Amino acid sequence: MKIDIAVPSRLYHFRPNPLPVILVALMAIGLAVAMVRFASGIGAISNLSNTYPWGFWISFDIYTGIAISSGAFLLAAAVYIFEIRSLRPLLMPTILTALLGYFMEVLALMVDLGRPERIFNMLFYQNFTSWMLVVGLCVMIYLAILAVEIAPIFLRGLKQDKWAHFARRFIKPAVILGVVVSTIHQGSLGALLLIQSAKLHPLWWTPLLPVMFFVSSISIGLAMVIFESSMTSRYFKSHHLEIKLLAKVAGAIPYAVGIYAVLRFAQLFLSGNSQYLFSSGLMSVLFWVEIVIGVVVPFILFISPRNRADPRTLLIGAIILLVGMVLNRFNVSWFGIHRLQEVGYVPSLAEISISLAIFSFGILAFGLGARYLPLFEDSDAIAERA
Amino acid sequence: MATIQQHAYLFDATRCIDCRACMIACSVENSVPMNDSYIWVTGSAVMGEYPDLRRATMPYHCMHCLEPDCVSACPVGAWSKREDGPVLYDEDKCIGCRYCMNACPFSVPHFDWDKGLFGGALMHKCTMCVQRLEVGQEPACVQTCPTEALKFGEREALIAEAHSRIAAHPERYIDHVYGELENGGTSYLILSHVPFGELGLPDVGVTPVKNVSEAAMRATIPLALGWGAVLTGVTVGMELNKQRKDKAGKEEPAEVEAAAGGKR
Amino acid sequence: MEQTVSRRDFLKLGGAAAGALAVGSFVPPRVAQAALEAGHLNAQGDGYIPSVCEMCVWRCGLLAKVKDGRVVKLDGNPDHPHSKGKLCPRGQAGIMTTYDPDRVLTPLIRVGSRGEGKFRKASWEEALDIVAQKMLEIREKYGSEAMVFSSTHNLSQVQFENFLQAFGSPNYGTQRSLCFNAMIVSNLMTYGMEEPARNYDNLQYIIYTGRNLAEAISNSETGEMIAAIDRGAKMVCLDPRFTKTAAKATDWLPIRPGTDLAFHLALINVIIEERLYNQAFVEAYTTGFDELAASTKPYTPDWAAERTDVPAETIARIGREFAAAAPFALAHNGWRTSNFVNSFQAERAITILNALVGNWGTSMVHAGGEEGGGLGKPPQPPYPRISAQRLDGVPWMYPFVPLKIGVFQQLRDSIIDENPYKAHGWFISRQNPVLSLPDRKKTLAAMASMDFIATVDVILNDTAWFSDVVLPEASYLERYDPLAVVGDKAYIRQPVIEPQGEAKSALWIYKELGSRLGMSEFFQYADEEDYIKQQLAPLGASFDSLRSQGYVELPGEAGDQFQWQTPSGKIELKSSTLESAGFAAIPTWSEPPAPAEGQFYLLTGKGARQTQFGTQNNQLLHKYDDEPRLWMNAKTAKAQGLRDGDMVQVASEVGSIYVRLLATEAIRPDCVYMMPGFGHLSMGLTTAYGLGSSDSDLHVTYTDPISGGQALTQTFVTVQKA
Repeated sequence: MKIDIAVPSRLYHFRPNPLPVILVALMAIGLAVAMVRFASGIGAISNLSNTYPWGFWISFDIYTGIAISSGAFLLAAAVYIFEIRSLRPLLMPTILTALLGYFMEVLALMVDLGRPERIFNMLFYQNFTSWMLVVGLCVMIYLAILAVEIAPIFLRGLKQDKWAHFARRFIKPAVILGVVVSTIHQGSLGALLLIQSAKLHPLWWTPLLPVMFFVSSISIGLAMVIFESSMTSRYFKSHHLEIKLLAKVAGAIPYAVGIYAVLRFAQLFLSGNSQYLFSSGLMSVLFWVEIVIGVVVPFILFISPRNRADPRTLLIGAIILLVGMVLNRFNVSWFGIHRLQEVGYVPSLAEISISLAIFSFGILAFGLGARYLPLFEDSDAIAERA
Repeated sequence: MATIQQHAYLFDATRCIDCRACMIACSVENSVPMNDSYIWVTGSAVMGEYPDLRRATMPYHCMHCLEPDCVSACPVGAWSKREDGPVLYDEDKCIGCRYCMNACPFSVPHFDWDKGLFGGALMHKCTMCVQRLEVGQEPACVQTCPTEALKFGEREALIAEAHSRIAAHPERYIDHVYGELENGGTSYLILSHVPFGELGLPDVGVTPVKNVSEAAMRATIPLALGWGAVLTGVTVGMELNKQRKDKAGKEEPAEVEAAAGGKR
Repeated sequence: MEQTVSRRDFLKLGGAAAGALAVGSFVPPRVAQAALEAGHLNAQGDGYIPSVCEMCVWRCGLLAKVKDGRVVKLDGNPDHPHSKGKLCPRGQAGIMTTYDPDRVLTPLIRVGSRGEGKFRKASWEEALDIVAQKMLEIREKYGSEAMVFSSTHNLSQVQFENFLQAFGSPNYGTQRSLCFNAMIVSNLMTYGMEEPARNYDNLQYIIYTGRNLAEAISNSETGEMIAAIDRGAKMVCLDPRFTKTAAKATDWLPIRPGTDLAFHLALINVIIEERLYNQAFVEAYTTGFDELAASTKPYTPDWAAERTDVPAETIARIGREFAAAAPFALAHNGWRTSNFVNSFQAERAITILNALVGNWGTSMVHAGGEEGGGLGKPPQPPYPRISAQRLDGVPWMYPFVPLKIGVFQQLRDSIIDENPYKAHGWFISRQNPVLSLPDRKKTLAAMASMDFIATVDVILNDTAWFSDVVLPEASYLERYDPLAVVGDKAYIRQPVIEPQGEAKSALWIYKELGSRLGMSEFFQYADEEDYIKQQLAPLGASFDSLRSQGYVELPGEAGDQFQWQTPSGKIELKSSTLESAGFAAIPTWSEPPAPAEGQFYLLTGKGARQTQFGTQNNQLLHKYDDEPRLWMNAKTAKAQGLRDGDMVQVASEVGSIYVRLLATEAIRPDCVYMMPGFGHLSMGLTTAYGLGSSDSDLHVTYTDPISGGQALTQTFVTVQKA
């Protein structure tokens, strides 16, 4: 990209792209709100309460955020472990997304934790019966792994090709560890809810929650790869749509959601909790909405090769799946939890503004990354050429 | 009191008049801030239709479970169970994740919502007035209860007393001592004339909710190791396979390169 | 659904008050020294000091935990019969009455116009001089009777009475006519004593007529009630509301207000007609049985059912059960029934009921006085003779009302009417007539007509707000009071911390004023300790042991050597005194007024977290209290188009208020209820100001001609959406 510095009046020709401006503004708002939170407490800006200790931040930033970061470990496994090299062009953008996603989760945690300055207590005082500890450690470790995975590209962006080459050596072990950690991590978010057996509605609570979370994270990851590629090809001319690759990815979705659906329903019928399928009012409705748009519709859409070849259908199908699965994460971490008190909770604008700011940061950072890092090149190929 | 092995409370809802002396006594004894409380009254709604009415209330506070879920859930081990009963909190470890609030099937712990980075936000709940136990006094709530709806003592003895109260007046009580078995047994035992749900008590099983969570945890390490071994095996296998192919001198056509996209 | 104080989510409710418990500490040399000497405190100044609670009039014994010169916790004193180691919510919250940030800590002198709330701080010298000077001026110009004095039920009241009698005024207002006059006078007429004591020991059957012990807590008696129920005693509760007491009842009877008399007359009828009464007891100890039997013949259960809305068979059953349980049965007098002008006769019927079945000596016993036989007091000359009539009409309008009790609402009305003369000054001690008297507009008018008003209080209560001089009293944890007699012991209220600011004890204030008024000879004590030492003198007991033990034994009064102080010396089922004055000598039915179409009975009654009109500013009580709302039956509310939480306008013939509605099943459809004591006018009460509304704006002044009691329930109101 070239900037014409010969033009004398910047004002005259200054035509800002509105998106970064909006993103920066949202970040500024969120930062201001966060300052209030750090000065006066979480209660000062949020509608969280002793009845709703966790709310929008946890459901959106953590549960949703980690789920949609799952593309990275899937692609990394596919490319580096199973040597499906054809998927390579999709890999780096996905890893960058995950890296930013996890970083965003850390930002969210900094706001949501009561004592963020003590986050590293998790390294000093460990209670190994705690799934929260597992979640915390997974975030820390996986963040480091993603950094290793993206390091070659990043270093090349800094024109440090020698170092980039050096960094590449660590990728495979990092990927293996990353897949293991991710598996545990995706599952651990489900496992966090195991202890809420007396509170989480039986349409969702099962001892298999970690498995459910892991299995559903696969279809979420696949959908995210499609979604992201579609979006980046739209906004970054440097990157054109890898329609053949995405069709390949989409081909896996019916299997992923199919296995998930079989698991869910088998569990419900075997445990006897199928009685709640139609009898629990709002809970039943939420369940079916989640299943229909998260499982049934994507299954039908992606089972057809013709649909998979159509960029529009691909994108729409991916979005529908994501919405359904995100609803699942909201259901298990928020809507489906029984409260002892009849106290309502609607996230405050301030709460949402924090999440928006973090989200804006992610988009902006991804935009910068896409612009300044050789994300869409096949790094291996280039490295090999060098 | 020094001889008590397992301290416990016995609450009899038929004697409670919802006066809230316990709440105020607790607030003063434990310097509870004006915007928080370690005890709250649950179930104080009038039930039924005029003139066929009933009401039941209880001072709801930490159940001091025999196998506390908060202790299991805390990532940094800030919660602990003292041998003689009280579930206690180490404010120096807590990171404020509030997972204990979710983990507690009785939704007991409270959080300092109004404290910022420098205010030191912490968790709060009933401490069984350990500072009073140490000088041989009963917890403040028990000591002041004007109707003696609350009693304090050895858990086994209180369970026996609860059952004998039921036996003496079977028409008066629900034939169950809540907390004897609930969630693996609690140190707060409750007698009631109305279903326990009407007192605001949750319907929890007899096994602590942490059990499934801890079982899953135990399965995780072997699972992770196994999964890691499989992945390593596959990787090594693929690598060997590739090297063999490479040796065969076959350069793979750069299918991917074509798709690698334009320059930036 | 009734509102609940679940308060897991406190954040939105508390806030401003946080941290108030932790205001700066101070070093208390004198009190700490005394407590150290008495062995209550260790060398670090920590320990427990026994004293007496003053959060209501039950006077429980307490143990104050003191640390570094601050009281940090109050526990019930196990050695006191009223507390038995327990304190009620108010007793527990007493610490915040002492540490109320709104405490008045220096004398205040009004600088703005009355009610504007502008005061300046003054020294005690100046404030006392002004009060004395004004009182002397009034005496000089209009005579001693132009000064009105009022105070309510506190341990220093004996010195307050000394103060006003020495001054020479007959005008004395207590709150009692707003509360229990009917009960006191009916007991005087029947038993010749103000209030027999109740004994729950073997009680098997209790009838409460509006007595709500679970919410209007009298610590030990509330405990005894619950213990009796736990033992299996049956309890009948007459109350138009499903109170927390009603919730414990075997029979809750939501009786129509004003018809308690009909219910009890029918019980008498059943017991006499079915010959269930204790014949031996009636013959030996009562007079007028035959007249009673004849007179109550028409009052059958069927007759009563029509009036009370209680089924006839229920009434008959209760009559039989009550008689069967006697003498371990009790028809409880309460403080007051639903107050109508016929309430005096309802109280009479209750006293008669107990006599008929012979409960005397078992569930009802002779009560020792509060004066405490054997205690000394400082010497003093006789009081000046008072020739002026009392403004409150005792005894010239109300012959049976004891002088010490009076008719407060009549006093207020006479001030306005200047009948039979005009009052010019008002000296008020720890009392809040602005809120307690019915028809607040009139009370404020009476105050406005005064040349001078002085008030003694610990906070800037409404009455103090409208005063010219406010004298800050030390809180009950900061001062001595005259000894509190319970049974065969006298208990000491002693300071557990040094008074805050300039606050002083009532004993000191009255003495200082007395000397400025030239009445020193009526206040012959050097200080508070000297006063108590003089009380102890005849017993030969030491002050130090009193302080360390918390009480002193009184010489045993001859236990059952009492007489029914009636003209006949017996229990008078038919009262000769009433007969001679031309009142109904045997309780007879008179139909009480009823609300017109669209109107409701206005009920008032206490809650467990407040005492009358002075505790609403206590932050701890506020923390755990329910929002004061107007109760209305949920179905009635629905029919009226009102919803729970609506702001409504409540209007009577004397005024109207705005208050939030509580739609609840727990009240008769023809009644509304509100808790008295809220709706403060004083902006010096930062917690209580703006909280709820006051029933005193609605209550119409109706006085029972026999007992002088205010008929609080005889006010009817309309309710509409605001």
